[in-house]
Amino acid sequence: MAFKDLREFIKLLNKTGDVVHIREEVDWDLEIGAIGRHAYEIQAPAQLYEKIKDYPGHRVFNGSLGTFRRVAIAMGLDPNTSVKQLYKEYEARINSPIKPIVVSDGPCKENIVTGDDIDLFKLPVPYIHEGDGGRYIGTWAFEVTRNPDNSWDNWGMYRFMVHNKRYMVGWPRYSSHLSMVLHGKYVPQHKPMPIALVLGSDPLCSMIATAPIAINANEADYAGGLCQEAVKLVKCETSDLLVPVNAEIVLEGEILPDRTVQEGPFGEYPGYRMEGAKDGVLVRTKAITHRNKPIFTIISLGVPPDDSSIAASLTAALAMKRRLLKHNLPITEVFVPPIGVTHIVVVGVKRGGNEVAKQIKDVLTARRADVNKIFVVDDDIDPFDFDQVMHAFATKCHPIRGIFCEEVEPPKGNALTPCYNAKERRAYKGAIALIDCTWPPELDKITSVPMKNSFNIMFPPALKDKVLANWKTYGFKERKKEKK
Amino acid sequence: MKKEYQIFTPDIKNLIENKEIKLTIKDLNPGTSKYGAKIVKAILASDSSKLPDGDVLHVRSWIGALYPQTWAIKIIEELDETEPGIPHGETIRAKK
Repeated sequence: MAFKDLREFIKLLNKTGDVVHIREEVDWDLEIGAIGRHAYEIQAPAQLYEKIKDYPGHRVFNGSLGTFRRVAIAMGLDPNTSVKQLYKEYEARINSPIKPIVVSDGPCKENIVTGDDIDLFKLPVPYIHEGDGGRYIGTWAFEVTRNPDNSWDNWGMYRFMVHNKRYMVGWPRYSSHLSMVLHGKYVPQHKPMPIALVLGSDPLCSMIATAPIAINANEADYAGGLCQEAVKLVKCETSDLLVPVNAEIVLEGEILPDRTVQEGPFGEYPGYRMEGAKDGVLVRTKAITHRNKPIFTIISLGVPPDDSSIAASLTAALAMKRRLLKHNLPITEVFVPPIGVTHIVVVGVKRGGNEVAKQIKDVLTARRADVNKIFVVDDDIDPFDFDQVMHAFATKCHPIRGIFCEEVEPPKGNALTPCYNAKERRAYKGAIALIDCTWPPELDKITSVPMKNSFNIMFPPALKDKVLANWKTYGFKERKKEKK
Repeated sequence: MKKEYQIFTPDIKNLIENKEIKLTIKDLNPGTSKYGAKIVKAILASDSSKLPDGDVLHVRSWIGALYPQTWAIKIIEELDETEPGIPHGETIRAKK
Protein backbone atom coordinates (compact mmCIF):
# COMPACT_ATOMS: atom_id res chain seq x y z
CA MET A 1 0.00 0.00 0.00
CA ALA A 2 1.20 3.52 -0.74
CA PHE A 3 0.59 4.75 2.83
CA LYS A 4 0.34 3.30 6.31
CA ASP A 5 -2.38 5.47 7.81
CA LEU A 6 -4.70 8.41 7.26
CA ARG A 7 -1.89 10.91 7.85
CA GLU A 8 0.23 9.47 5.06
CA PHE A 9 -2.83 9.41 2.80
CA ILE A 10 -3.32 13.14 3.47
CA LYS A 11 0.36 13.68 2.56
CA LEU A 12 -0.31 11.94 -0.76
CA LEU A 13 -3.33 14.19 -1.33
CA ASN A 14 -1.04 17.17 -0.68
CA LYS A 15 1.21 16.05 -3.51
CA THR A 16 -1.66 15.64 -5.96
CA GLY A 17 -3.44 18.84 -4.91
CA ASP A 18 -6.48 16.97 -3.61
CA VAL A 19 -6.66 18.41 -0.09
CA VAL A 20 -6.95 21.90 1.35
CA HIS A 21 -5.50 22.62 4.80
CA ILE A 22 -7.85 25.10 6.47
CA ARG A 23 -5.83 26.87 9.16
CA GLU A 24 -8.33 29.63 9.89
CA GLU A 25 -10.50 28.88 12.91
CA VAL A 26 -13.77 27.20 11.93
CA ASP A 27 -16.81 26.43 14.03
CA TRP A 28 -17.83 22.81 14.64
CA ASP A 29 -21.39 24.19 14.87
CA LEU A 30 -22.55 24.13 11.20
CA GLU A 31 -19.54 25.89 9.61
CA ILE A 32 -17.54 22.72 8.93
CA GLY A 33 -20.72 21.05 7.64
CA ALA A 34 -21.42 23.96 5.28
CA ILE A 35 -17.87 24.13 3.90
CA GLY A 36 -17.76 20.37 3.44
CA ARG A 37 -21.14 20.21 1.73
CA HIS A 38 -20.34 23.02 -0.69
CA ALA A 39 -16.98 21.41 -1.45
CA TYR A 40 -18.73 18.18 -2.45
CA GLU A 41 -21.24 19.96 -4.61
CA ILE A 42 -18.53 21.72 -6.63
CA GLN A 43 -16.18 18.70 -6.42
CA ALA A 44 -13.51 20.68 -4.57
CA PRO A 45 -10.65 18.97 -2.71
CA ALA A 46 -10.96 17.23 0.65
CA GLN A 47 -10.46 19.44 3.69
CA LEU A 48 -8.28 19.13 6.78
CA TYR A 49 -9.54 21.61 9.38
CA GLU A 50 -6.61 22.40 11.65
CA LYS A 51 -8.13 24.90 14.08
CA ILE A 52 -11.52 24.04 15.51
CA LYS A 53 -13.35 26.47 17.77
CA ASP A 54 -13.40 25.15 21.37
CA TYR A 55 -11.16 22.20 20.47
CA PRO A 56 -7.46 23.10 20.42
CA GLY A 57 -5.24 20.17 19.47
CA HIS A 58 -7.94 18.46 17.44
CA ARG A 59 -8.37 18.30 13.67
CA VAL A 60 -11.30 17.33 11.44
CA PHE A 61 -11.00 15.74 7.99
CA ASN A 62 -13.87 15.76 5.49
CA GLY A 63 -14.07 14.08 2.11
CA SER A 64 -11.35 11.43 2.01
CA LEU A 65 -13.04 9.47 -0.80
CA GLY A 66 -15.38 12.13 -2.15
CA THR A 67 -14.24 11.73 -5.77
CA PHE A 68 -13.19 8.75 -7.88
CA ARG A 69 -9.87 10.56 -8.22
CA ARG A 70 -9.28 10.34 -4.47
CA VAL A 71 -10.35 6.67 -4.50
CA ALA A 72 -7.69 6.05 -7.16
CA ILE A 73 -5.08 7.80 -5.00
CA ALA A 74 -6.15 5.73 -1.98
CA MET A 75 -5.69 2.57 -4.05
CA GLY A 76 -2.22 3.69 -5.09
CA LEU A 77 -3.26 4.24 -8.72
CA ASP A 78 -2.90 7.13 -11.12
CA PRO A 79 -5.36 9.82 -9.97
CA ASN A 80 -6.76 9.93 -13.51
CA THR A 81 -7.61 6.23 -13.61
CA SER A 82 -10.98 5.74 -15.28
CA VAL A 83 -13.97 4.62 -13.24
CA LYS A 84 -14.15 1.43 -15.27
CA GLN A 85 -10.50 0.66 -14.52
CA LEU A 86 -11.05 1.43 -10.83
CA TYR A 87 -13.89 -1.09 -10.81
CA LYS A 88 -11.63 -3.72 -12.43
CA GLU A 89 -8.81 -3.11 -9.96
CA TYR A 90 -11.17 -3.16 -6.98
CA GLU A 91 -12.72 -6.41 -8.20
CA ALA A 92 -9.32 -8.05 -8.67
CA ARG A 93 -8.16 -7.05 -5.19
CA ILE A 94 -11.38 -8.10 -3.49
CA ASN A 95 -11.03 -11.51 -5.06
CA SER A 96 -7.72 -11.94 -3.19
CA PRO A 97 -8.52 -11.34 0.50
CA ILE A 98 -5.65 -11.27 3.02
CA LYS A 99 -6.13 -12.20 6.67
CA PRO A 100 -5.35 -9.45 9.21
CA ILE A 101 -2.47 -9.54 11.69
CA VAL A 102 -3.14 -8.95 15.39
CA VAL A 103 -0.57 -6.74 17.14
CA SER A 104 -0.27 -5.83 20.81
CA ASP A 105 0.06 -2.06 20.67
CA GLY A 106 0.11 0.87 18.28
CA PRO A 107 -0.85 4.47 17.51
CA CYS A 108 -4.54 4.29 18.44
CA LYS A 109 -3.47 3.51 22.04
CA GLU A 110 -1.43 6.69 22.51
CA ASN A 111 -4.19 8.06 24.76
CA ILE A 112 -6.69 5.95 26.70
CA VAL A 113 -9.68 7.52 28.44
CA THR A 114 -11.94 5.43 30.66
CA GLY A 115 -14.40 5.70 33.54
CA ASP A 116 -15.59 9.09 34.71
CA ASP A 117 -13.11 10.83 32.40
CA ILE A 118 -15.19 9.86 29.38
CA ASP A 119 -16.84 12.91 27.87
CA LEU A 120 -17.90 12.75 24.23
CA PHE A 121 -18.25 16.53 24.22
CA LYS A 122 -14.45 16.73 24.47
CA LEU A 123 -14.30 15.55 20.85
CA PRO A 124 -14.87 18.08 18.03
CA VAL A 125 -18.05 16.37 16.87
CA PRO A 126 -19.59 18.64 14.24
CA TYR A 127 -23.22 19.70 14.08
CA ILE A 128 -23.47 19.15 10.34
CA HIS A 129 -26.85 20.31 8.98
CA GLU A 130 -29.20 22.84 10.55
CA GLY A 131 -32.12 20.88 11.96
CA ASP A 132 -30.26 17.62 12.57
CA GLY A 133 -31.24 15.89 15.79
CA GLY A 134 -27.76 16.20 17.25
CA ARG A 135 -24.03 16.15 16.67
CA TYR A 136 -23.09 13.18 14.53
CA ILE A 137 -20.03 11.37 15.80
CA GLY A 138 -20.36 8.58 13.24
CA THR A 139 -20.63 9.77 9.67
CA TRP A 140 -17.35 8.46 8.30
CA ALA A 141 -16.68 6.02 11.12
CA PHE A 142 -17.19 2.29 10.93
CA GLU A 143 -18.54 0.02 13.61
CA VAL A 144 -16.96 -3.27 14.64
CA THR A 145 -19.17 -5.93 16.22
CA ARG A 146 -18.91 -9.70 16.66
CA ASN A 147 -21.23 -12.66 16.39
CA PRO A 148 -20.51 -14.56 19.64
CA ASP A 149 -21.31 -17.92 18.03
CA ASN A 150 -18.66 -17.99 15.34
CA SER A 151 -16.42 -14.98 15.94
CA TRP A 152 -17.67 -13.30 12.77
CA ASP A 153 -16.32 -9.76 13.05
CA ASN A 154 -18.51 -7.38 11.11
CA TRP A 155 -17.48 -3.94 9.94
CA GLY A 156 -20.33 -1.71 8.87
CA MET A 157 -20.84 1.99 8.41
CA TYR A 158 -23.83 3.27 10.34
CA ARG A 159 -24.73 6.70 11.65
CA PHE A 160 -24.32 7.56 15.36
CA MET A 161 -24.90 10.81 17.23
CA VAL A 162 -23.92 12.10 20.65
CA HIS A 163 -26.76 11.78 23.15
CA ASN A 164 -24.82 13.16 26.12
CA LYS A 165 -21.30 12.95 27.51
CA ARG A 166 -21.35 9.17 27.87
CA TYR A 167 -24.02 7.85 25.51
CA MET A 168 -24.20 7.66 21.72
CA VAL A 169 -27.29 6.67 19.82
CA GLY A 170 -27.38 5.35 16.30
CA TRP A 171 -29.53 3.90 13.64
CA PRO A 172 -27.95 0.92 11.93
CA ARG A 173 -30.75 -0.29 9.75
CA TYR A 174 -32.85 -3.17 11.08
CA SER A 175 -31.82 -5.21 8.02
CA SER A 176 -28.11 -4.61 8.58
CA HIS A 177 -25.66 -7.31 9.61
CA LEU A 178 -25.12 -5.51 12.94
CA SER A 179 -28.85 -5.54 13.66
CA MET A 180 -29.18 -9.16 12.59
CA VAL A 181 -26.65 -10.21 15.25
CA LEU A 182 -27.96 -7.70 17.81
CA HIS A 183 -31.52 -9.01 17.59
CA GLY A 184 -30.49 -12.62 17.07
CA LYS A 185 -27.85 -13.06 19.75
CA TYR A 186 -27.99 -10.23 22.30
CA VAL A 187 -31.42 -8.63 22.73
CA PRO A 188 -33.26 -11.94 23.36
CA GLN A 189 -30.66 -12.82 26.05
CA HIS A 190 -30.83 -9.27 27.50
CA LYS A 191 -27.07 -9.03 27.01
CA PRO A 192 -25.22 -5.85 26.01
CA MET A 193 -23.42 -6.13 22.66
CA PRO A 194 -19.81 -4.90 22.50
CA ILE A 195 -19.20 -2.36 19.75
CA ALA A 196 -16.31 -0.14 18.66
CA LEU A 197 -16.59 2.94 16.44
CA VAL A 198 -13.43 3.44 14.39
CA LEU A 199 -12.62 6.92 13.09
CA GLY A 200 -9.73 7.75 10.82
CA SER A 201 -8.41 4.36 9.94
CA ASP A 202 -6.86 4.34 6.48
CA PRO A 203 -9.46 5.19 3.82
CA LEU A 204 -9.55 1.71 2.28
CA CYS A 205 -10.64 0.15 5.58
CA SER A 206 -13.43 2.73 5.74
CA MET A 207 -14.35 1.96 2.15
CA ILE A 208 -14.63 -1.77 2.81
CA ALA A 209 -16.96 -1.04 5.72
CA THR A 210 -19.46 0.35 3.20
CA ALA A 211 -19.40 -2.93 1.25
CA PRO A 212 -22.25 -5.39 1.55
CA ILE A 213 -19.88 -8.31 2.15
CA ALA A 214 -21.51 -11.70 2.72
CA ILE A 215 -22.79 -12.83 6.10
CA ASN A 216 -20.02 -14.51 8.14
CA ALA A 217 -17.28 -12.96 5.98
CA ASN A 218 -14.84 -10.69 7.80
CA GLU A 219 -14.44 -7.29 6.18
CA ALA A 220 -10.89 -7.08 7.59
CA ASP A 221 -9.83 -9.85 5.17
CA TYR A 222 -11.19 -7.86 2.22
CA ALA A 223 -9.58 -4.67 3.52
CA GLY A 224 -6.31 -6.59 3.37
CA GLY A 225 -7.06 -7.56 -0.21
CA LEU A 226 -7.83 -3.99 -1.13
CA CYS A 227 -4.70 -2.68 0.64
CA GLN A 228 -2.65 -5.57 -0.85
CA GLU A 229 -1.22 -6.29 2.59
CA ALA A 230 -2.58 -7.52 5.90
CA VAL A 231 -4.42 -4.95 8.00
CA LYS A 232 -2.97 -4.66 11.51
CA LEU A 233 -5.55 -5.00 14.27
CA VAL A 234 -5.31 -4.48 18.01
CA LYS A 235 -7.61 -5.60 20.83
CA CYS A 236 -9.94 -3.08 22.43
CA GLU A 237 -9.41 -2.04 26.06
CA THR A 238 -12.85 -3.10 27.26
CA SER A 239 -13.78 -6.00 24.98
CA ASP A 240 -12.21 -8.64 22.73
CA LEU A 241 -13.12 -6.72 19.58
CA LEU A 242 -10.26 -6.01 17.19
CA VAL A 243 -9.82 -2.59 15.58
CA PRO A 244 -7.29 -1.18 13.08
CA VAL A 245 -4.23 -0.13 15.04
CA ASN A 246 -3.68 2.91 12.80
CA ALA A 247 -7.08 4.44 13.69
CA GLU A 248 -7.12 8.04 14.82
CA ILE A 249 -9.92 7.53 17.37
CA VAL A 250 -11.68 4.42 18.70
CA LEU A 251 -14.86 4.69 20.75
CA GLU A 252 -15.47 1.49 22.68
CA GLY A 253 -18.83 0.72 24.17
CA GLU A 254 -21.77 -1.61 24.40
CA ILE A 255 -25.23 -1.52 22.84
CA LEU A 256 -27.83 -1.80 25.57
CA PRO A 257 -30.55 -4.39 24.91
CA ASP A 258 -33.17 -2.80 27.12
CA ARG A 259 -32.60 0.98 27.05
CA THR A 260 -33.07 3.53 24.31
CA VAL A 261 -33.33 7.23 23.47
CA GLN A 262 -34.45 9.35 20.51
CA GLU A 263 -32.18 9.36 17.48
CA GLY A 264 -32.08 11.74 14.53
CA PRO A 265 -33.29 13.15 12.30
CA PHE A 266 -30.19 13.35 10.13
CA GLY A 267 -29.52 14.46 6.55
CA GLU A 268 -28.68 11.11 5.02
CA TYR A 269 -26.83 9.68 2.03
CA PRO A 270 -29.74 9.67 -0.45
CA GLY A 271 -29.62 13.46 -0.22
CA TYR A 272 -32.63 14.00 2.04
CA ARG A 273 -33.41 14.18 5.74
CA MET A 274 -36.19 11.87 6.80
CA GLU A 275 -37.74 11.28 10.21
CA GLY A 276 -35.75 10.37 13.30
CA ALA A 277 -36.23 7.25 15.40
CA LYS A 278 -38.01 7.08 18.73
CA ASP A 279 -36.07 3.96 19.75
CA GLY A 280 -32.49 4.38 18.62
CA VAL A 281 -29.66 1.92 19.16
CA LEU A 282 -28.10 3.15 22.38
CA VAL A 283 -24.39 2.77 23.12
CA ARG A 284 -22.86 3.32 26.54
CA THR A 285 -19.29 4.46 25.95
CA LYS A 286 -16.72 2.56 28.01
CA ALA A 287 -13.42 3.85 26.61
CA ILE A 288 -12.02 6.33 24.13
CA THR A 289 -8.59 5.67 22.71
CA HIS A 290 -6.91 8.06 20.32
CA ARG A 291 -3.70 9.20 18.71
CA ASN A 292 -1.98 12.40 19.75
CA LYS A 293 -3.51 15.41 18.00
CA PRO A 294 -6.22 13.16 16.56
CA ILE A 295 -7.94 13.66 13.23
CA PHE A 296 -11.71 13.30 13.48
CA THR A 297 -13.10 12.01 10.17
CA ILE A 298 -16.50 13.08 8.88
CA ILE A 299 -18.58 13.42 5.76
CA SER A 300 -21.00 16.26 5.35
CA LEU A 301 -23.57 13.96 3.79
CA GLY A 302 -26.10 15.05 1.22
CA VAL A 303 -26.88 15.06 -2.46
CA PRO A 304 -24.28 13.16 -4.46
CA PRO A 305 -21.42 12.96 -4.90
CA ASP A 306 -19.78 12.45 -1.54
CA ASP A 307 -17.72 9.71 0.06
CA SER A 308 -20.81 7.62 0.64
CA SER A 309 -22.10 7.63 -2.93
CA ILE A 310 -18.60 7.30 -4.43
CA ALA A 311 -17.39 4.48 -2.16
CA ALA A 312 -20.69 2.61 -2.39
CA SER A 313 -20.63 2.92 -6.17
CA LEU A 314 -17.73 0.50 -6.17
CA THR A 315 -18.44 -1.59 -3.12
CA ALA A 316 -22.15 -2.13 -3.77
CA ALA A 317 -21.74 -2.73 -7.51
CA LEU A 318 -19.03 -5.32 -7.13
CA ALA A 319 -20.90 -7.09 -4.31
CA MET A 320 -23.96 -7.29 -6.59
CA LYS A 321 -21.86 -8.53 -9.48
CA ARG A 322 -20.40 -11.32 -7.34
CA ARG A 323 -23.88 -12.44 -6.32
CA LEU A 324 -25.15 -12.40 -9.89
CA LEU A 325 -22.16 -14.35 -11.19
CA LYS A 326 -22.62 -16.91 -8.40
CA HIS A 327 -26.04 -17.58 -9.91
CA ASN A 328 -24.48 -18.07 -13.36
CA LEU A 329 -26.29 -15.12 -14.88
CA PRO A 330 -24.87 -13.77 -18.17
CA ILE A 331 -23.48 -10.57 -16.66
CA THR A 332 -20.98 -8.30 -18.38
CA GLU A 333 -20.69 -5.33 -16.01
CA VAL A 334 -22.57 -3.90 -13.04
CA PHE A 335 -22.47 -0.16 -12.39
CA VAL A 336 -23.93 1.77 -9.47
CA PRO A 337 -23.89 5.41 -10.60
CA PRO A 338 -23.07 7.75 -7.68
CA ILE A 339 -25.92 10.02 -8.76
CA GLY A 340 -28.32 7.14 -8.04
CA VAL A 341 -27.13 6.84 -4.38
CA THR A 342 -27.37 3.01 -4.51
CA HIS A 343 -31.06 3.28 -5.36
CA ILE A 344 -30.22 2.56 -9.01
CA VAL A 345 -28.09 -0.20 -10.48
CA VAL A 346 -27.29 -0.83 -14.13
CA VAL A 347 -26.64 -4.44 -15.08
CA GLY A 348 -25.14 -5.29 -18.45
CA VAL A 349 -25.92 -8.71 -19.90
CA LYS A 350 -24.64 -10.79 -22.80
CA ARG A 351 -28.13 -12.18 -23.39
CA GLY A 352 -31.23 -10.24 -22.40
CA GLY A 353 -34.99 -10.72 -22.23
CA ASN A 354 -37.55 -10.64 -19.46
CA GLU A 355 -36.57 -14.00 -18.05
CA VAL A 356 -32.94 -13.05 -17.43
CA ALA A 357 -33.97 -9.61 -16.15
CA LYS A 358 -36.35 -11.18 -13.62
CA GLN A 359 -33.66 -13.58 -12.44
CA ILE A 360 -31.38 -10.59 -11.87
CA LYS A 361 -34.11 -8.87 -9.86
CA ASP A 362 -34.68 -12.00 -7.76
CA VAL A 363 -30.98 -12.29 -6.87
CA LEU A 364 -30.60 -8.60 -6.04
CA THR A 365 -33.62 -8.57 -3.73
CA ALA A 366 -33.13 -11.97 -2.08
CA ARG A 367 -32.08 -10.68 1.37
CA ARG A 368 -32.69 -6.97 1.16
CA ALA A 369 -33.57 -4.43 -1.49
CA ASP A 370 -31.41 -1.38 -0.89
CA VAL A 371 -31.64 -0.72 -4.60
CA ASN A 372 -35.14 0.00 -5.91
CA LYS A 373 -34.58 0.47 -9.64
CA ILE A 374 -32.69 -2.08 -11.72
CA PHE A 375 -31.80 -1.25 -15.31
CA VAL A 376 -30.82 -4.23 -17.45
CA VAL A 377 -29.03 -3.40 -20.69
CA ASP A 378 -27.62 -5.39 -23.62
CA ASP A 379 -23.90 -5.57 -24.25
CA ASP A 380 -24.03 -2.90 -26.96
CA ILE A 381 -24.57 -0.44 -24.10
CA ASP A 382 -21.78 0.66 -21.78
CA PRO A 383 -23.36 0.45 -18.29
CA PHE A 384 -20.88 3.10 -17.10
CA ASP A 385 -22.21 5.62 -19.62
CA PHE A 386 -25.49 6.89 -18.20
CA ASP A 387 -26.31 8.68 -21.46
CA GLN A 388 -26.23 5.35 -23.26
CA VAL A 389 -28.32 3.74 -20.51
CA MET A 390 -30.94 6.49 -20.77
CA HIS A 391 -30.99 6.08 -24.55
CA ALA A 392 -31.60 2.37 -24.16
CA PHE A 393 -34.33 3.06 -21.61
CA ALA A 394 -35.96 5.56 -23.96
CA THR A 395 -35.87 3.31 -27.01
CA LYS A 396 -35.63 -0.34 -26.04
CA CYS A 397 -37.71 -0.55 -22.88
CA HIS A 398 -41.36 -1.23 -23.63
CA PRO A 399 -43.60 0.75 -21.23
CA ILE A 400 -45.69 -2.36 -20.52
CA ARG A 401 -43.56 -5.37 -21.47
CA GLY A 402 -40.30 -3.89 -20.19
CA ILE A 403 -41.18 -2.47 -16.76
CA PHE A 404 -42.06 -4.69 -13.80
CA CYS A 405 -42.91 -3.26 -10.41
CA GLU A 406 -43.55 -5.19 -7.25
CA GLU A 407 -43.40 -4.83 -3.50
CA VAL A 408 -40.63 -6.45 -1.49
CA GLU A 409 -41.37 -8.21 1.76
CA PRO A 410 -40.46 -6.37 5.00
CA PRO A 411 -37.80 -6.00 6.29
CA LYS A 412 -36.10 -6.08 2.87
CA GLY A 413 -37.01 -2.49 2.07
CA ASN A 414 -34.49 0.32 2.40
CA ALA A 415 -35.72 2.50 5.25
CA LEU A 416 -33.74 5.46 3.91
CA THR A 417 -35.59 5.67 0.60
CA PRO A 418 -37.12 9.15 0.32
CA CYS A 419 -40.01 8.13 -1.99
CA TYR A 420 -41.40 5.68 0.57
CA ASN A 421 -43.70 7.17 3.18
CA ALA A 422 -42.77 7.28 6.86
CA LYS A 423 -44.90 4.26 7.72
CA GLU A 424 -43.29 2.18 4.97
CA ARG A 425 -39.82 3.27 6.03
CA ARG A 426 -40.41 2.39 9.67
CA ALA A 427 -41.76 -1.04 8.72
CA TYR A 428 -38.97 -1.61 6.15
CA LYS A 429 -41.51 -2.09 3.40
CA GLY A 430 -40.25 -1.42 -0.07
CA ALA A 431 -40.66 -1.93 -3.77
CA ILE A 432 -38.56 -2.71 -6.79
CA ALA A 433 -38.85 -1.53 -10.37
CA LEU A 434 -37.19 -3.74 -12.95
CA ILE A 435 -36.51 -1.86 -16.16
CA ASP A 436 -35.64 -4.25 -18.92
CA CYS A 437 -33.88 -2.33 -21.69
CA THR A 438 -32.85 -5.43 -23.64
CA TRP A 439 -34.17 -6.87 -26.84
CA PRO A 440 -36.28 -9.98 -26.33
CA PRO A 441 -34.05 -12.95 -27.26
CA GLU A 442 -36.78 -14.41 -29.49
CA LEU A 443 -36.50 -11.45 -31.91
CA ASP A 444 -34.64 -12.44 -35.07
CA LYS A 445 -31.50 -10.31 -35.44
CA ILE A 446 -31.69 -10.27 -39.23
CA THR A 447 -35.37 -9.52 -39.64
CA SER A 448 -36.68 -7.96 -36.43
CA VAL A 449 -34.14 -6.32 -34.10
CA PRO A 450 -34.01 -2.63 -35.06
CA MET A 451 -30.55 -1.62 -36.25
CA LYS A 452 -28.73 0.92 -34.14
CA ASN A 453 -27.62 4.03 -36.03
CA SER A 454 -24.29 4.59 -34.34
CA PHE A 455 -20.81 5.23 -35.68
CA ASN A 456 -19.61 1.93 -34.27
CA ILE A 457 -22.33 -0.18 -35.85
CA MET A 458 -23.41 1.50 -39.07
CA PHE A 459 -20.09 1.77 -40.92
CA PRO A 460 -17.51 -0.67 -42.23
CA PRO A 461 -14.41 -1.07 -39.99
CA ALA A 462 -12.01 0.14 -42.71
CA LEU A 463 -13.99 3.34 -43.18
CA LYS A 464 -14.20 3.96 -39.43
CA ASP A 465 -10.42 3.59 -39.18
CA LYS A 466 -9.96 6.04 -42.03
CA VAL A 467 -12.31 8.60 -40.50
CA LEU A 468 -10.58 8.41 -37.15
CA ALA A 469 -7.12 8.56 -38.70
CA ASN A 470 -8.04 11.64 -40.74
CA TRP A 471 -9.99 13.37 -38.01
CA LYS A 472 -7.58 16.30 -37.61
CA THR A 473 -7.08 16.53 -41.37
CA TYR A 474 -10.81 17.17 -41.74
CA GLY A 475 -10.30 20.27 -39.59
CA PHE A 476 -11.32 18.99 -36.17
CA LYS A 477 -9.02 19.89 -33.30
CA GLU A 478 -9.18 16.53 -31.59
CA ARG A 479 -11.40 13.51 -31.23
CA LYS A 480 -14.06 13.68 -28.59
CA LYS A 481 -12.67 12.17 -25.40
CA GLU A 482 -14.05 8.89 -24.28
CA LYS A 483 -16.36 9.30 -21.31
CA LYS A 484 -15.40 7.69 -18.01
CA MET B 1 -31.26 35.48 30.45
CA LYS B 2 -33.58 32.77 29.23
CA LYS B 3 -32.10 29.44 28.20
CA GLU B 4 -32.94 27.89 24.84
CA TYR B 5 -33.92 24.33 24.03
CA GLN B 6 -35.20 22.38 21.05
CA ILE B 7 -37.49 19.41 20.62
CA PHE B 8 -38.41 17.17 17.71
CA THR B 9 -41.99 15.99 17.47
CA PRO B 10 -43.83 13.83 14.96
CA ASP B 11 -46.87 16.11 15.23
CA ILE B 12 -47.02 19.52 16.90
CA LYS B 13 -50.73 18.93 17.56
CA ASN B 14 -49.70 16.27 20.07
CA LEU B 15 -47.79 18.71 22.26
CA ILE B 16 -49.79 19.13 25.43
CA GLU B 17 -49.83 22.54 27.12
CA ASN B 18 -50.09 23.44 30.79
CA LYS B 19 -49.57 19.89 32.01
CA GLU B 20 -46.46 18.09 33.20
CA ILE B 21 -45.18 15.90 30.40
CA LYS B 22 -42.04 13.87 29.73
CA LEU B 23 -39.99 14.82 26.70
CA THR B 24 -36.49 14.79 25.21
CA ILE B 25 -34.99 18.24 24.81
CA LYS B 26 -31.80 19.34 23.08
CA ASP B 27 -29.70 21.99 24.76
CA LEU B 28 -29.13 25.00 22.46
CA ASN B 29 -27.12 27.03 24.95
CA PRO B 30 -23.58 28.02 23.94
CA GLY B 31 -20.72 25.74 24.95
CA THR B 32 -19.25 22.41 24.06
CA SER B 33 -22.27 20.44 25.28
CA LYS B 34 -24.61 22.27 22.88
CA TYR B 35 -27.09 19.90 21.19
CA GLY B 36 -26.76 17.37 23.99
CA ALA B 37 -30.01 15.66 24.98
CA LYS B 38 -31.84 15.54 28.28
CA ILE B 39 -34.99 13.69 29.20
CA VAL B 40 -37.09 15.95 31.39
CA LYS B 41 -40.45 16.46 33.01
CA ALA B 42 -41.66 19.89 31.89
CA ILE B 43 -44.59 22.18 31.27
CA LEU B 44 -45.04 23.70 27.81
CA ALA B 45 -46.91 26.70 26.48
CA SER B 46 -47.37 27.71 22.85
CA ASP B 47 -47.49 31.34 23.97
CA SER B 48 -44.58 32.49 26.14
CA SER B 49 -46.80 35.00 27.98
CA LYS B 50 -48.66 32.03 29.48
CA LEU B 51 -45.42 30.75 31.02
CA PRO B 52 -43.50 33.91 31.97
CA ASP B 53 -40.83 32.11 34.00
CA GLY B 54 -40.27 29.59 31.25
CA ASP B 55 -37.33 29.24 28.89
CA VAL B 56 -37.39 29.37 25.08
CA LEU B 57 -38.37 26.21 23.22
CA HIS B 58 -37.86 25.78 19.48
CA VAL B 59 -40.04 23.10 17.96
CA ARG B 60 -38.96 21.05 14.97
CA SER B 61 -40.86 18.38 13.11
CA TRP B 62 -39.71 14.79 12.98
CA ILE B 63 -37.77 15.60 9.77
CA GLY B 64 -36.12 18.62 11.37
CA ALA B 65 -38.17 21.44 9.84
CA LEU B 66 -38.54 24.39 12.22
CA TYR B 67 -42.03 25.55 13.17
CA PRO B 68 -42.16 29.36 12.99
CA GLN B 69 -43.73 29.78 16.40
CA THR B 70 -41.44 29.66 19.44
CA TRP B 71 -42.86 27.93 22.52
CA ALA B 72 -42.01 28.25 26.19
CA ILE B 73 -40.79 25.48 28.48
CA LYS B 74 -40.47 25.20 32.23
CA ILE B 75 -38.33 22.25 33.25
CA ILE B 76 -39.66 20.62 36.40
CA GLU B 77 -36.98 17.96 36.75
CA GLU B 78 -34.35 16.10 34.82
CA LEU B 79 -35.14 12.40 34.53
CA ASP B 80 -32.92 9.39 33.85
CA GLU B 81 -30.42 9.77 30.98
CA THR B 82 -32.06 6.94 29.01
CA GLU B 83 -35.44 5.25 28.77
CA PRO B 84 -36.63 1.65 28.90
CA GLY B 85 -37.03 0.17 25.43
CA ILE B 86 -35.33 -1.98 22.87
CA PRO B 87 -33.29 -0.98 19.84
CA HIS B 88 -35.47 -0.54 16.71
CA GLY B 89 -38.56 -0.71 18.92
CA GLU B 90 -40.76 1.11 16.39
CA THR B 91 -39.87 -1.33 13.63
CA ILE B 92 -40.46 -4.32 15.85
CA ARG B 93 -43.84 -2.91 16.89
CA ALA B 94 -44.70 -2.14 13.25
CA LYS B 95 -43.96 -5.76 12.33
CA LYS B 96 -46.53 -7.07 14.83
